Amino acid sequence: MSSWLDYTINGLIVGNVYALVAVGLALIFGVSRLINFAQGSIYLVGAYIGWVAVVRLHTPLPLTIIVVAAATAVVGLIIERFGLRPLQNSVRIAPLLATIGISFVLDQLVMLTFSPNPRALPSQLPDVRFQLGGGTIGPLDLLIAGVGLTSALLLFVFLRYTKLGWAVRATAQDRDAAMQMGVDVNRVNQAVFGIAAALGGVSGMLVGMYYNQIDTAMSLQATLKGVVAEVVGGAGNVPGAVIGSLLLGLVESYGVAVFGTSYRNLFAFLLLVVVLVLRPNGLFASARQAPPEPLTGTFIAPSRPVRIPRWALLVAAAAFAVLPFFPVSSYVLQTLINAWLLGMLALSLTLVAGTIGQVSLGHAALLAIGAYTSALLSLTLAVPVGLAVIGGGLMSAALGTLLISPSFRLRGHYVSIATLAIGEIVSLVILNWESVTRGPIGISGIPPLSLFGHDLISPLSVYWFSFAVMLVLALVQGRLLGSHLGRSFRAIRDDDIAARAYGLSLNRYKSLAFIFGGFAAGVSGGIAAHLYSYINHETFNTQQSILALTVVILGGLGNVVGAIVGSVALVGLPELFRIAAEYRILIYGIVLLLLVRFRPQGLLGTI
Amino acid sequence: MSNIDRRTLVRGSLAAMMAGAAFSRAALAQSAEPILLGVSGPLTGPNAQYGAQWKQGFDLALDEIHAAGGINGRKLAYQFEDSQSDPRQSVAIAQKFVSDPRIVMELGDFSSPASMAASPIYQRGGLVQFGFTNSHPDFTKGGDFMWSTSVSQADEQPLLASYAVRRLGLKKLAVLHLNTDWGRTSRDHFVKAAKEYGAEIAVTEGYIAEERDFRSTLVRVRDASPDGLILISYYSDGALIARQARQVGLKQTICAASSVYSPKFLELGGEAVEHVHLGTRYFPEDPRPEVKKFIAGFKVKYNGQEPDAFNAYSYDAMNMAAAVVKIGGTDRRAIRDAFAKVKDVSSVIYGQATFDVESRRVKGAMNAELVVRKGQFALWDGKPT
Repeated sequence: MSSWLDYTINGLIVGNVYALVAVGLALIFGVSRLINFAQGSIYLVGAYIGWVAVVRLHTPLPLTIIVVAAATAVVGLIIERFGLRPLQNSVRIAPLLATIGISFVLDQLVMLTFSPNPRALPSQLPDVRFQLGGGTIGPLDLLIAGVGLTSALLLFVFLRYTKLGWAVRATAQDRDAAMQMGVDVNRVNQAVFGIAAALGGVSGMLVGMYYNQIDTAMSLQATLKGVVAEVVGGAGNVPGAVIGSLLLGLVESYGVAVFGTSYRNLFAFLLLVVVLVLRPNGLFASARQAPPEPLTGTFIAPSRPVRIPRWALLVAAAAFAVLPFFPVSSYVLQTLINAWLLGMLALSLTLVAGTIGQVSLGHAALLAIGAYTSALLSLTLAVPVGLAVIGGGLMSAALGTLLISPSFRLRGHYVSIATLAIGEIVSLVILNWESVTRGPIGISGIPPLSLFGHDLISPLSVYWFSFAVMLVLALVQGRLLGSHLGRSFRAIRDDDIAARAYGLSLNRYKSLAFIFGGFAAGVSGGIAAHLYSYINHETFNTQQSILALTVVILGGLGNVVGAIVGSVALVGLPELFRIAAEYRILIYGIVLLLLVRFRPQGLLGTI
Repeated sequence: MSNIDRRTLVRGSLAAMMAGAAFSRAALAQSAEPILLGVSGPLTGPNAQYGAQWKQGFDLALDEIHAAGGINGRKLAYQFEDSQSDPRQSVAIAQKFVSDPRIVMELGDFSSPASMAASPIYQRGGLVQFGFTNSHPDFTKGGDFMWSTSVSQADEQPLLASYAVRRLGLKKLAVLHLNTDWGRTSRDHFVKAAKEYGAEIAVTEGYIAEERDFRSTLVRVRDASPDGLILISYYSDGALIARQARQVGLKQTICAASSVYSPKFLELGGEAVEHVHLGTRYFPEDPRPEVKKFIAGFKVKYNGQEPDAFNAYSYDAMNMAAAVVKIGGTDRRAIRDAFAKVKDVSSVIYGQATFDVESRRVKGAMNAELVVRKGQFALWDGKPT
C-alpha cells in the first residue's frame, strides 16, 4: 500500500519536471498557435549556459537563474525576430518547419561548442533530504515545483489582469482584429517568446541540476514530453499545462508500477491519444472556448503550383532511368536509392498531409509496420520477397488506417500530435511485443530483394527496382489527384464543413487517403528491410517522421513531383555536406531555414 | 523561374558528386599516400559522444603506430564519415567506401541497426567491416568479411555474475538493463550465469536509452527486496540510476557492467557511485605494460584526461587494424585473410588478441574487479561495503 504512495509521489515529482517545459510551450501556442519545436533546444541552451555560470563563473544560484533567464530570453527574441516574424504572412505551416530548423541549428551549435559528452551540472542547493513516504525529496524538487507553479500563476495573472496580457489574449483569439484595435502584435509576440524562452532556459538548467547531468540529446525528449503534457492539459492553457504534466507523470509512474519500466512511455502516449479522442481541446478547455484552429482550412494555404511541362518530367524520369549506364559510383546510386525510398514515404505523406490536410508526424510507424510485416512474412512463412513487400504495404495500409482512424475527428495541429503519439506507440509495441517482433534484439538475416526468383543484389538492380516502384506509385497518385477523388480530398482540406455540407463523408475519404498513403509507406519500409537485412525498433524513428514532413513541406504540400524533388534534395544535401564533417547538420539546418524563409510554400508550391 | 535555378542546382551538385567519385577512382593509391581506413560512426546526432571518443582512441593509436615507423614505412590514416548511427546513412557510406579504391577496410558503425544494415554491402563488395563495438550476437554472422573485437556478452556477463554472486556474496538480485539489443543480450547471459552460481533473480527491468527518471522503477526494485542491484548500463544512465537509488533510500550493493567504466561515471554520479562495484577489462594501476602505455599516452595527449572503455575499444581497434594491414597489405581480400592470421596483438582489453576464426570474434577478455573508493576507481580489496 505504501508503495502506491511512493508511486504517486514519484509521478508528481517527474510531472513537476515536465511542467516547466509544458508551460513555455503552452504560452507560445496560446499566442501564435504554433508548436514550438525549438523549445527543447532553448531548454538545452539554458542548461549549458547554466553550466558555464556554475562551473566556470561560480555564480550563486539566484544570479545563475537571472543569467540563464536573461541569456535565453535574448535567444528567444532573436528566434522570434529573425526566424519567425518574416514568416508571419506566409503559410501557417511554415513557422512550424522553421522551428524544426532552428532546433537543428541550436542543438548543433551547443554540440560544437561544448562537445557531445555529457557534463555534470552540480546543484547549488544544500544537500538535505526530507523523508516522504518510502523515499526522500530534496530542496531542488521543491524549487522546481515552486518555479513551475509560480510561473504558471504569474502568467495566469499576467494574461488576465495586465494590459499586455489582454493584448496577448486578443492576439491569440483573432490576430487581425487585434491589429485593427491597435494592438502591436509584433510586440506581443516578442514578449511571449522572450518569457517562454527564459522559462525554457531556466527549466533546462534546473532539470540539469536535478539529474546532475546535461547532454545534447536532452532537447528532443524535452520537447516530446512537453508537447504531450501541454496538449493533455489543453493547448494554450497555462494552468492546464501544469495539471497535464502532473497527470502525465502520474500515468507514467502507475504504468511502471503495474506493467514494468519498459512500458512507461507507452502509457504517456496512450494517455495523449485517449485525451485527444475524448476531449480534443484538452482536459481543461471550457466548452465555450473558441475552437483552437480556424474553422476553415487556412492551416495549409493554397498557392500557385509551379507548372512543369510534361516533356520536362519525361526527360527527367528518362535521365534518372538511364543514369546507371553512365560511369557513376555505387555511392551515388545508393544515395539515390535512399532518395527513392524516402520519396515513397514522402508521396504517402504528401497525400495525407498535403492533399487531404492531415499533417502526420508519426509516418515512420507506417514504414516500421511495412518493414516488420515483409521481413517476418519472408523469414517465417517463406513468402517470396516480392509478395512479402506487397504484403507489407497492405498491412501498413490496413493497420495504419485503423490506428489513425480515432484521430479523424481532429484538426490542424492536433492531428500532428495524435499521429506523433501513434508513431511512438507503434515503436514501443514493437519493442515490447517480443514473441512476434523479437523485441530489442531485432530481426536479422532478412533475405535480399528478389523478383520472380532473381535476387536483386547489385546497387544497379536495387536502383532500378526502387525507382520503378516509386515511379508507379507517383503516376497512380498523380492520376488520383486529377480525378474526382483528388478534388474531394482537396475540398476536405480547404474547408471540411463545406465539404460535409456537399455530402462528402469525411471519415471515408480520410480512410481512403490513409489506405493509399499507408500502402506506399509500407512498401518503402518493406524494401528497406530487405535492403538492410537487419531491423529493430530503432531503425524507423521519430527523426525519420520529421524528415519526411520536412521533405513534403519543402517540395510543396500535396505536390507529387515536389515530394520527389524534396527527397532527392534532403537525402543529397547532407551527403554533399559530408566534407564539413561535424558541421554538416548545422549547415543543413541553415539551408532549411533559408528555404523556408524564401519559399515557404515549398519549392514547387502546394497543389 | 527561381525554381528552375534550384532544380539545376540540385542536378548540378549531383553531377559534382559523380565527378568527385570518378576522380577518386582515377587517383590510384601511391606508396607515398597513407593507407586509408574508412570509419563509419556517429559524429552528430544522439550518439555523437561515442564518435568523439572513438576519434581520441584512434588518434592516440595512430601517433604510436607512426612513431614506430608506420606500416612498412607507410602511414596509416582514417576517413571518418558521420552516419549519425542511422541505417539510411550507414548504407550510403558503405557504398562510398566500397567504391573508393583507396579504402582498404572499414571500422564501425556504432549501433546495431546502422552496422548490420550496412553489412550486406560490405560483404558483397568484399570490404572488411571491422565492428569493434558490435556485440550483437548476429553481427559476425553477416558474412566472412565481418570481424569484431567487441567483447562477447557471453564472455563478459558470467564474469560480472561471478563477481556479484561468488565474490560479493549477493544472493537475490535486481537487474536493471538498457532495453537495446546489447542490454537485452547481456541481461540474458547475466541471469543465466547468476542462476548457475546460485543466486535468485528478484526482478529485471529494461529501460529505454532516453530515460532519465528511474524513481518509480526503483520502487519496484525495492518491493522485490533484493540484496544487490545489477546495472547493465552505460555511464550516463548508470550514474543516474545510482544517484536516484540512493535518493530513494536504497542502500543495497550496486554492481555494474564494464560499460560504466569512465571518469564521466564518477563525475556524473558524485557521491552516489561511491562503493559501486564493477567488472572491467583494465584499470588505472593495472601493471600490464600495454595498459600503462595506453593510459600514460592518453593523459599526455588529452591534457590529463582519463581514458574510458570506448577510448580503449577504439585504441585497440586501430592497433588491430594496423597489425592486420601489416600482414595483409592493401589488398581487400588479403586483409580479410589476414584477420585469421594475426596472432597475439597487444591489446588493452584482451592482453593479447587472437581471432577465433570460426566466430570471427576474440575470446578471453581480461577481467579486473574494481570498486569506487573516494571518488576513484580502485582494485577491490576484498572488503565488503
